[in-house]
Amino acid sequence: MRTLRPIGAVALAALFFFPVYVVVTGMLKPVKDIQSSPLGLPTPPTTANLDAVLGREDGLYWSALLNSVQITVLSVVALTLLSAMLAHYLVRSTARWTRPALLMLLAGLMIPPAVILQPITQVLGAAGLMNSVIGVVCANVAYYLPFGVFVFAGFIGGVPVEMEEAASIDGASRFRLFWQVVFPTLRPAAASVMIFLGVWVWNDFLTPLIVLGPESGTTVTVGVYRSVGEYSTDFGTLYAFSFLASLPVLLFFVALQKQFVAGLTAGAVK
Amino acid sequence: MRSRLTVTLAALLTVALAGCTQGGKSASGGPSGSAGGTVELTMLTFETPNLPAALWDSAIARVEQKVPGVKIKKLVTPNVDRTTYAKQLASSGQLPDIMIAVNPQGFAEGGQLAEFSQDDLKDFADPASGAIKGKIYQLPTNAQPQSLLYYNKDDFAKAKIAAPPKTWTEFLADCAKLKAVGITPIAVGGGGQDTFASMYTWVGTVGTDVYLTDPDFSKEITSGSKTFDDPSFVKATDKVAQLAKLGYLDKQGTSRSYADHEKAFRAGSAAMYPMGSWFATSADNDKPKFGVGVFAWPSDDGKAVVPNLTGGGLSVSAKAENVDLAKKFALEWTRDKETSDAFTKADGTFNTIKGYQPPADMGPLFKETLAIYNQAVKDATVTPALSIEQGDNGLPADMTVPVQQIAVELLNGKSDAKAAVTKLNKEYASLK
Amino acid sequence: MRRSNSQSAREFAGFALPGLFLYGLLVLVPIGWTVVLGFTDRNRFAAATHWVGLEQFQRLFGDDQFWLVLKNTFVVTAIVVVVPNVLGLAIALLLDRNTLLYRLLRSLFFTPVILSGIVVSVIWQSMLRPGGVLNRFFGAVGWLSDPGIALYSISGILCWQMLGFCVVVYLAGLNGVPRELYEAAIVDGAGWWRRFGSVTWPMIASAVTINTVMLLISGFKVYEHILVLTNGGPGRNTTASIAFDVIEKGVRGDRIGFAAAEATVMLAIIVALSGVVLQVLRRREVHL
Repeated sequence: MRTLRPIGAVALAALFFFPVYVVVTGMLKPVKDIQSSPLGLPTPPTTANLDAVLGREDGLYWSALLNSVQITVLSVVALTLLSAMLAHYLVRSTARWTRPALLMLLAGLMIPPAVILQPITQVLGAAGLMNSVIGVVCANVAYYLPFGVFVFAGFIGGVPVEMEEAASIDGASRFRLFWQVVFPTLRPAAASVMIFLGVWVWNDFLTPLIVLGPESGTTVTVGVYRSVGEYSTDFGTLYAFSFLASLPVLLFFVALQKQFVAGLTAGAVK
Repeated sequence: MRSRLTVTLAALLTVALAGCTQGGKSASGGPSGSAGGTVELTMLTFETPNLPAALWDSAIARVEQKVPGVKIKKLVTPNVDRTTYAKQLASSGQLPDIMIAVNPQGFAEGGQLAEFSQDDLKDFADPASGAIKGKIYQLPTNAQPQSLLYYNKDDFAKAKIAAPPKTWTEFLADCAKLKAVGITPIAVGGGGQDTFASMYTWVGTVGTDVYLTDPDFSKEITSGSKTFDDPSFVKATDKVAQLAKLGYLDKQGTSRSYADHEKAFRAGSAAMYPMGSWFATSADNDKPKFGVGVFAWPSDDGKAVVPNLTGGGLSVSAKAENVDLAKKFALEWTRDKETSDAFTKADGTFNTIKGYQPPADMGPLFKETLAIYNQAVKDATVTPALSIEQGDNGLPADMTVPVQQIAVELLNGKSDAKAAVTKLNKEYASLK
Repeated sequence: MRRSNSQSAREFAGFALPGLFLYGLLVLVPIGWTVVLGFTDRNRFAAATHWVGLEQFQRLFGDDQFWLVLKNTFVVTAIVVVVPNVLGLAIALLLDRNTLLYRLLRSLFFTPVILSGIVVSVIWQSMLRPGGVLNRFFGAVGWLSDPGIALYSISGILCWQMLGFCVVVYLAGLNGVPRELYEAAIVDGAGWWRRFGSVTWPMIASAVTINTVMLLISGFKVYEHILVLTNGGPGRNTTASIAFDVIEKGVRGDRIGFAAAEATVMLAIIVALSGVVLQVLRRREVHL
């Protein structure tokens, strides 16, 4: 039993991780080796596939990367601030409408993008925001707001209100109070909101595909989709593009692994 | 910890905002300024292994030179399905100014496309092709046979088939011979996003059994005077179902993406490859290990039928910032010999502009394909292509995907002719 | 706290309004818009749009294809809710040791969770196509070409992607089980199964809820995987989900009114599901 467990665990993990192995080794092999020996190690490894993606004449990867970074950073920052403030207001306010408003937001957690995509383009079009990074950011903020509010509201509920009252007696304005007293205590919640939304927004497909349109370029996720048609059977390049598109989010994960797990599990162990 | 988080945040924000302002110009999009007397027009293109980015860029640069005052901003579809993507763009008011090979159906009736005049079309060999209510919204630039039967000469030799079949009976006999020596007779495709590649066998049998005698079949469907129950259509459909039942089709192929499909044929997966004429240039440019021949679809009585689409050219949005200049660009694009040559070489199309001759150094399979087409034109055995033909003579655009998906059911043997035509009738009824 | 009206109005404008405004404009208004469109004959290319009452819904419910995509959606959702939950718990129990090796393995399992659906689909398509890696071991299986298998292939891929999420959530849940409870159970002479049933299971109940909700959402809105792997085929809609069909008809196709009616039905199902989910969540709140 003592030795069986690690062996079993490693074997299972290896089986599970097999597809990722295929991609990572595949992108370091010449195409013909991917076909002939998909399991073999790349000996010697080649960077030809990676170079092909990075050195594309139209700079697709780099322009897509810029778009993805802009969209993700702006969306996540805006979402963190707006949902923290909204959650705080809804939890602390005594007004009667806040309870239904909170429920209304919670209902939004499950809305699939397919249901609202068509009208969203109309609204954004009317506002002149189609075809722009800002348009995608607005759509993201609205769509993911319920998640942010949900996390923050749960967290704020657990913070004693006395601290805020003490500060407000000192005559601090509500805004100063929020930023100087409340927000710092929300940092763990902010971390998990930022981490989750960061990954989700980065991986989003439909919204950037439709809202960003072709004129402002693509995001890396849409870029992978585009290269499916273009490279088709050139799996080396396709793997390389997939890898490069996922690399930032993988690094993000490795760097913030602890917070990832903490954020995920905040609810699991109440 | 706190200050570090803030600093990182601030840095990220700065980068993002800097990027925004830098990319601001391109992000503004739309019909932007006509500064300096030039108009910027958007052009929707698509990239495939045969038509890479570089080919489009050089063609655009060349034609820009010929139309002063036009600056083209190239847009690229996320996959080969141009028409669907154009719809997505149109639905949010972003229809590009110029589009290539987008099915004009629907767009035209909705008043979104500019009409080409008789005068614009005077140089085209088939100026009425793809007309919608008698008017042309997409330049009928190319004739493109789809499909023909490309075949592996080595496989045919192994099965002791001396010459390509002339009749459907011979065709079936040859399939049996191939199968007897352990060779899968016919390659099929249609996997992944490329459902369209499932059509090419059915297109052939509908060509020989329906369109050859009744080229207006689609029109009769849309007018309601015929249904898919029509005996000739059932017979054509049954031919595909029989091929599946007899085990002549490579069923696994229905999960191959289009490019994988071609690759599999090149690797010897099957003896015959029903495909459009673009395969001819592909095989000329990159020769498979075996010799490749080609023949037209054999009808019961020995006619060589070539399903074909003449179209594939440029369309212009009715809301383009300068419609006249956009049309001028479209016409110049079509007349530009170098561009036509490039597309002929890359995609195996036959430009139908009067007086155009393909480059002399075209490969043997292309020449063979062209000869078959020319012979079919002479014999009047060129037919429309099911689900591919457009305009007044095509099925409604919303039928395309159902037809393609039902084709897969025929190929993998999950459906017979009767079930397939019943489904088609139902799908058609649900569109109204 | 007593505040003047203008002050509270300012606070509302500063704290609540920006978020609520965007949410209203880009989520609530579009939802209402979709529902309204479902009662019209809106077509992308038609000049005029008419009010047609319940006609689109009647057509929808009379359409075999709608029931097919609905069935597909439920099959995928059911598999995606059950399989990663069960396997995730089993693997979590296996990995429930706090050494470097097990932490590393946990990260391996989590990796697919942070990949996009597009990337995951690209990877699997390259392995499942004829001649792909998997067919080297299993002979020629029509993973994506056999209509009887393809839907399960897609479900399996979704399970693969979501499994790590469940593992990590369950590990956290297991971590929160006090050791003393186990020790007490051992003293009482309880075997492994008894200990699992009476100690572990009740203590990880909230982890089960979290996983189930998350899997329910991911399963029900599956779109990208279908788009890349099968495009709804092989054959007519054999793997199309309701989300896929709504986009196919309303965004890629022309029948916007019909697609809106379908989206409205989808919305109704979501509302019912969230109702159940909220109920469960609330009961648990009381419980703990």
